[in-house]
Amino acid sequence: MHKEFARSYDSLREIFDFIEAFLESRGVAESPRYPVHFALEELFTNMVKYNPGNTNDILVDVDVDDKNITVTMTDYDVDAFDITEERKVDTESSLQDRPVGGLGLHLIRHMVDTLDYHYVDRQSRIIFTKGTG
Amino acid sequence: MFDIDLGESGEIVCKGRLDAAQCEKAQAFMDNVAGPNTLDFAQLEYISSAGLGVLLKTQKRLAESGAGLKIININNHIKDVFRYSGFNAIFDIEA
Repeated sequence: MHKEFARSYDSLREIFDFIEAFLESRGVAESPRYPVHFALEELFTNMVKYNPGNTNDILVDVDVDDKNITVTMTDYDVDAFDITEERKVDTESSLQDRPVGGLGLHLIRHMVDTLDYHYVDRQSRIIFTKGTG
Repeated sequence: MFDIDLGESGEIVCKGRLDAAQCEKAQAFMDNVAGPNTLDFAQLEYISSAGLGVLLKTQKRLAESGAGLKIININNHIKDVFRYSGFNAIFDIEA
């Protein structure tokens, strides 16, 4: 099932409702839903934040089989940004030295099972999976 | 939906989902918090990295006067997010 969403933080509620209705209809257990919501939000808000002048909607496709939830997000007419590249994240320094922000991709890597990035013809496509068990 | 308000004992009660679209509301409330306080997450279902940013900014500000936030009744999903973020070392968390 797929749907396009306007490039705005205001789309988040609609995205959550879309994914939740689909997972509910497929009888997916509660435990993988939080990580799926989390990854969707982090990736979608990155697309909004880093391409503010782009007016194209963002396509979200979700599928479920016996083992995995698979989400594909496609962003049109954008520069490449490989989210799978390792970036330094500070999770250990003191409160005073701890930077605000920059944790999203780090957290996604902990919460989903696979995360892939493809860039062709100025289209960014991100695919992540999370086990249903 | 997300809601934030003071509880009966003066604690800060968060309800619902603290996502990027709700951070402005959360930050506006937290900017008025002075001194040590307790955040009750019993009814908070979800937090994203944007929500973590609100908490971290507030904790940094309060720390300048020697105060801080204590978080109680945190669910297992949010507890995982705190652990992966290293926030469990900079917040006082009570299960």
